[in-house]
Amino acid sequence: MKLALALLAALALAALPLLTASNYIVGIGISALVFTVAAAALNLIYGFTGLLSFAQLGFWGIGGYVTALTVVTFGGNFWWGVLWAALLNAAVALVIGYPTLRTNRHAFVIMTLTFALLVTLIARDWVELTRGPLGIPNLPKPSAFGYAFATTGQFYWVAWAFSMAMLAFLYALCSSRIGRTLVAIKQNEPLVRAQGISPMPYKLAAFAISAAVTGAAGGVYTFHLGIVDPLFLDFYYMQTFLIIVIIGGAGSFWGVIAAGVALSALPELLRFSADLRMIIYGVILVVAMFVMPSGVAGWLRERQLARLREWLR
Amino acid sequence: MTVDAVYLLQLTLNGIALGLLYALIAVGLSLIFGVMEIINFAHGELLMLGAFAMTFALPVLGLLYWPALTVAILAVMLAGLAIYEVLLARLKPDEFERSILITLGLSIILIHVMQYLFTATPRMVDSQYGFDGVSIGSIRITWTRIIGAAAAVAAFAGLYAVLRHTQFGRAMRAIAQNREAALMVGIRPRVVARNAVVLAAGLCGLAGAAIAPIQLVTPYMGQFLIFKAFALVIIGGLGNIPGAIVAAVALGLIESWIGGFFEIVWQEAAVFLIMIAVLFVRPDGLFKRGGMRVG
Repeated sequence: MKLALALLAALALAALPLLTASNYIVGIGISALVFTVAAAALNLIYGFTGLLSFAQLGFWGIGGYVTALTVVTFGGNFWWGVLWAALLNAAVALVIGYPTLRTNRHAFVIMTLTFALLVTLIARDWVELTRGPLGIPNLPKPSAFGYAFATTGQFYWVAWAFSMAMLAFLYALCSSRIGRTLVAIKQNEPLVRAQGISPMPYKLAAFAISAAVTGAAGGVYTFHLGIVDPLFLDFYYMQTFLIIVIIGGAGSFWGVIAAGVALSALPELLRFSADLRMIIYGVILVVAMFVMPSGVAGWLRERQLARLREWLR
Repeated sequence: MTVDAVYLLQLTLNGIALGLLYALIAVGLSLIFGVMEIINFAHGELLMLGAFAMTFALPVLGLLYWPALTVAILAVMLAGLAIYEVLLARLKPDEFERSILITLGLSIILIHVMQYLFTATPRMVDSQYGFDGVSIGSIRITWTRIIGAAAAVAAFAGLYAVLRHTQFGRAMRAIAQNREAALMVGIRPRVVARNAVVLAAGLCGLAGAAIAPIQLVTPYMGQFLIFKAFALVIIGGLGNIPGAIVAAVALGLIESWIGGFFEIVWQEAAVFLIMIAVLFVRPDGLFKRGGMRVG
């Protein structure tokens, strides 16, 4: 039932460029799709596994730069770029994840945060590779089998296909035995150990997969923007992913998807100034953490349980 | 490459000043973590508020350095008190991730409200000392830098005395070492946590006020410092105050030396590489924590 609904929604989303000719609205659609994928990846590591990772911002940036550099500097095409972005990010996640996950969860949060900062600094200061603050402009639109995805409307299909594939993959992962093991690690790690399961490989795998997906999403998004520069690593993106996950409900797959689509579209449509938008984001974050710490999905679940209890009485 | 002694001395002095600045922030973070087991993401914004308070107080008080410094520190302590009462007091000791997300929200709000009110244009402020300074050989150091560094050292000495010898500080250490036992002997965690937050805010206010006459003041100035301070707290061992000071001064020196001889990217990357290396060898930080130690 849920899956049938999701399939219908996916097909409806695919039709967006047919419904409107406005590049602005289709552009918001692309942002919504890509941000939702990145938020779902954050949900995998934070919502399911219980590890708050700020490194997503770094992976997002690495993904963007790797994809752009594959095309511009190394003469590859967009598809290979996205693939390289995913693979390289998974490798980086394993390298920084191993020493960090051995420590406590406090150190993990702060390590990932510093990693995100490091990536920003490299993007700005390693001028020979990244061209520094100027960035890499005029990224060519991708093409496949002689068909060029040149306009925003055509690129929307790429973003759509990408996010549907990634979300399907993440859904399969989260609803599998692996997903349940991750939730168990979050809820009670000693118990997981007592069951004879070593948490480390699961945590590392979740971190690497979430990194790979975020990186690929970053790659797709740079080609929508057509430029990659250090602003691509603005903390704004991390805040957006976090707010999507928290409002949707950390640990709830569909809640985060719904929040991703809604929250990417809303601020654009309401047209706040950049400062005011960030202030509103901050207020939403603080209020949500106090009023509904488990997001809309968690709130609905609690209400459902309360009603059930009432009915049983 | 020949190493010029004067150049090296200059780098060293700059490094110590930078390290003391890091230490003022990292010590506050460590103090709050020791007592409440939470991380205050908005700590850098307290520094920014201190710097802004200094830029507004100095002209009003006729460029007098010390009264303005006092006003700035008190203002930031007040802000710390408000933050504790409104937000942090609602947190339970084990809600680490929640504390980060809440204070992250607060940090976003503070930065953008300040930017909205005062724009992102960097501000400069003059003090009674202007750009006067002392010369040692061919090196010149301005008074504002010397006073800033001396004030930091004095603040650490004061903090040590308070934590070591007063009931106020002993209660903080007691909570950090054994919460239940501290409760049993009648120490109130809420009051102690409030004191710790206000004290940490004061240190941050001092840092902000001291650097306001030295560098440009912008709403974003706290952000980059706070990331490094987080790393320092990890390197020094979470909740370990001397560890944080040692790590901070060492990092200031290392960054300054690297910055003097290598490309700038290495200077910025140093803290991260050091942190990775330290965590590989000692997952609990260089100076392992056992309760909150002050000496």
